[in-house]
Amino acid sequence: MPDLAAKGPELTDRTRLALLLAPALLLLGGLFLAGLGLTLLRSFRYMPALGLTEPDLAAYVAILTTPDFLKSLALSLWIAGASTILAASLAIGAALLLRQTFPGRAVVSFLVQLNLTVPHIVGAIGILYLVSQSGSFARLAHAAGLIATPAEFPVLTHDPYAIGIILLYVWKELPFITLILLANLQTLGEDHEAVARSLGASRWQAFRHVLLPMILPGLAASSALVFAFAFGAYEVPLVLGQHAPKALPVLAWQAWTDTDLATRPEAMAMAIVIAVVGLALLALVARGLIAGDRDAP
Amino acid sequence: MTALVLDQLRKSYAVAGQAALHGLSLAVESGSLTALLGPSGSGKTTTMKLIAGLIAPDSGDIRLGDRSIRDLPPERRGVAMVFQNPLLFPHLTVAGNVGFGLRMRGLASDRIAASVAEMLERVRLTDLAQRKPAQLSGGQAQRAALARALILRPEVLLLDEPLSSLDPGLRDEMRQLIRALQRETGITTIVVTHDQTEAVALADRIALLLDGRLAQYDSPQAFYGRPATMAVARFFGGVNFIPGTARAGIFDGALGTLTLPPGLPEGPGVLTIRPEALRFGEGPNPRAAQIVALSFLGSLTRVDLDLMGVPLQALVTPDTARTLGPGTEVQVSLPPEALWLLPPDA
Amino acid sequence: MRPDRLRLLAALALASFLILPLLPLAIWSFAHGWRFPDLLPQVWSLKAWSYALGPRSGVLQSLGVTTGIALATTILAALVGIPAGRALGQYRFRGKGLVTLLLLAPAFLPGIAVVFGLHGIFLRLGLVGTVPGVILAHLIPVLPYMVLVMAAVFSRLDPDFEAQARCLGATAWQTFRNVTLPAILPGLMTAALFAFLVSWSQYLLTLAIGGGRVQTLPLLLFGFSSAGRNDITGAIALLYILPGLLVILLTARQITGRGAALAIGLRP
Repeated sequence: MPDLAAKGPELTDRTRLALLLAPALLLLGGLFLAGLGLTLLRSFRYMPALGLTEPDLAAYVAILTTPDFLKSLALSLWIAGASTILAASLAIGAALLLRQTFPGRAVVSFLVQLNLTVPHIVGAIGILYLVSQSGSFARLAHAAGLIATPAEFPVLTHDPYAIGIILLYVWKELPFITLILLANLQTLGEDHEAVARSLGASRWQAFRHVLLPMILPGLAASSALVFAFAFGAYEVPLVLGQHAPKALPVLAWQAWTDTDLATRPEAMAMAIVIAVVGLALLALVARGLIAGDRDAP
Repeated sequence: MTALVLDQLRKSYAVAGQAALHGLSLAVESGSLTALLGPSGSGKTTTMKLIAGLIAPDSGDIRLGDRSIRDLPPERRGVAMVFQNPLLFPHLTVAGNVGFGLRMRGLASDRIAASVAEMLERVRLTDLAQRKPAQLSGGQAQRAALARALILRPEVLLLDEPLSSLDPGLRDEMRQLIRALQRETGITTIVVTHDQTEAVALADRIALLLDGRLAQYDSPQAFYGRPATMAVARFFGGVNFIPGTARAGIFDGALGTLTLPPGLPEGPGVLTIRPEALRFGEGPNPRAAQIVALSFLGSLTRVDLDLMGVPLQALVTPDTARTLGPGTEVQVSLPPEALWLLPPDA
Repeated sequence: MRPDRLRLLAALALASFLILPLLPLAIWSFAHGWRFPDLLPQVWSLKAWSYALGPRSGVLQSLGVTTGIALATTILAALVGIPAGRALGQYRFRGKGLVTLLLLAPAFLPGIAVVFGLHGIFLRLGLVGTVPGVILAHLIPVLPYMVLVMAAVFSRLDPDFEAQARCLGATAWQTFRNVTLPAILPGLMTAALFAFLVSWSQYLLTLAIGGGRVQTLPLLLFGFSSAGRNDITGAIALLYILPGLLVILLTARQITGRGAALAIGLRP
């Protein structure tokens, strides 16, 4: 195999590399990093336009001492944790299922892909119409003679346990993780399991000790993405969430749009808390990337 | 007339593992077929890419005729290169691939079509003109790649290991095609190869590259009979080296005194003789030898000898091998015309 | 139970789970009043559809705005993302990990983490409440996706093809036009289709930067939903998922094959 570095003069040409990357990095830096940076500055109540030139931690102190914020944080962590665990476990099963051949596999596979393209807000409204107290399931329960009025149907949306929200995330993220695992499994092939079986492993042992460790990196990365999204998405708890405590992103939005401008730094501080959780997840996933970078010239 | 001149080319890489050039100079005759030979890491591919303009030298010059092409982009050099892999553009047909360069020059499509048809005829691909590259065999793809470069009538044609991606059975056919097309067109051609037998069979002249330097530029015969250094001799299968001193047509070394052919330099040096040139039986420069081992190599047999404590190797035909037995004492001759003197190893 | 029966049952459960939340939306869009406890509407009607597609609902304008924004975002992202993808896919360089990290960050950091600050910047630039502002904001999730997919596409492209074209007399631009572009086109088309969907699905960024003046479909959808117009909501929802359906029909085979990179982009 020819060495990659032999493929042209460009490899040592830093100018060309810089030119290729500059537009994307400038745009992303100017939008993403600048937006994040300004959020951070304002969370420290640094707003020269309003005469605030001494950064302080007042906004953070304020939110950390309000029970509302702590309850919202706990709720969002619960939503993200429960959704991720459920979606990931079901996705393993779905991926193993879709790896095999069975009649109707094409249909299921199509549905998995289709679901990936359905915007979250559509799914959220669909879940609302499906499991609310006057939704389709409640009607089925009535038809089956289980309930007489909508109020007798269990509260699954706008509820304290955020069941509707979690249901939506499982519905929406299960296909996402499944597709990543499927791609993973396709690359691996079935030889490793076959070898394990020939060495005396049972079907379960071959999965547990051979296949699972091999798909774990993909599973971990996709689960981290799901956690980050379920933790920080706004429109899903907006449709399916209860009035109080609100999911953290909804609380942050409310603080930001409050007519009392004094709560804005608190909104910024909440956004930063959400960003920190996302960054922590990114750091976990990215350790491999940085390690790989050290080998580059 | 020289067509291509490489003048003190230097190229180093920041990345390790890339063969560097340390001042390569070479003048290639117009209309010749030159093999650029060397082991991997000797700088062959680097040289090729410098000539093609895919990389730029740190210093030195590249001239075509009397104009420097060093600073020209690849497409304006008059140099066409065929890569080791055929690299046919997958979205174009065979005809589309062969006509690619002419299309880039902006030629009218009917003229392109005529040239392509003629070129395809020459490489015997007329029937496959409308095929896509994926439908070709390895040999067909390589012929199409060759046609795609030749159709441009370049001043210099570069072929990077043109036979290495082919099955052994197809190599001979391809080699003959390259030879024939080169003779027909008279295009100055440089073939990169790491295989000395391929270089010998194909080229008028061989440029041997060792460690980023030109070790010798000569006819194929010269590399066997008159290698410039021990490294060159070793690369061409030389195994017998006897240090000593040459004076007045006599070599004095570990084998005693041996008569040399006329015209060799005087002073300290290393005497060499090709294993196939060693004679068994009576003759000039006779020596008694002990047979250490016989190894069957197929069409030839290798004989390991001990001459007065000096290990030497001979290659003999099966007929000769049958008369020899391990451990026996034999008479060998080192014919003066087969002796060659190398400079002492630095 | 035989294993293949079990498999079939699991597949049926999975399929039902995936399709169920979409069913009430579809039924609602054809319902004329659908009261509890009716399992199905008493009266079927196309009223919701004719209202939604009529001039008064604003759906058609909204459809135009949403499509325009998604198209512009995709084209911008492609123009900027193709060169960056080439850099990441074909070159080794110091800091490549850091660049990749920056590209992954918008997938891990939810929009709400940056949108307040972005609003502050756009306010000063006069971009709040404008379509260009929304397009730029959409680049935050779309551009990294485009770059990462194009990087994967370029990493599968042998750079020798381009060198070969140059050696056959093609200029740099001719090489790109005649060799590189045809080679990356399938990947680029897939990336563009999904980039379109990523922009198409945005809610929060549009809401915050659009400032109520840029009415894309999801904003309209939520409006009708919170107003209790379930029938119109259903119709808009079906319209809204139509492009996704088309994209899947166009690319179905490629997705399972290429998997991860494409799917990661679909984080709205």
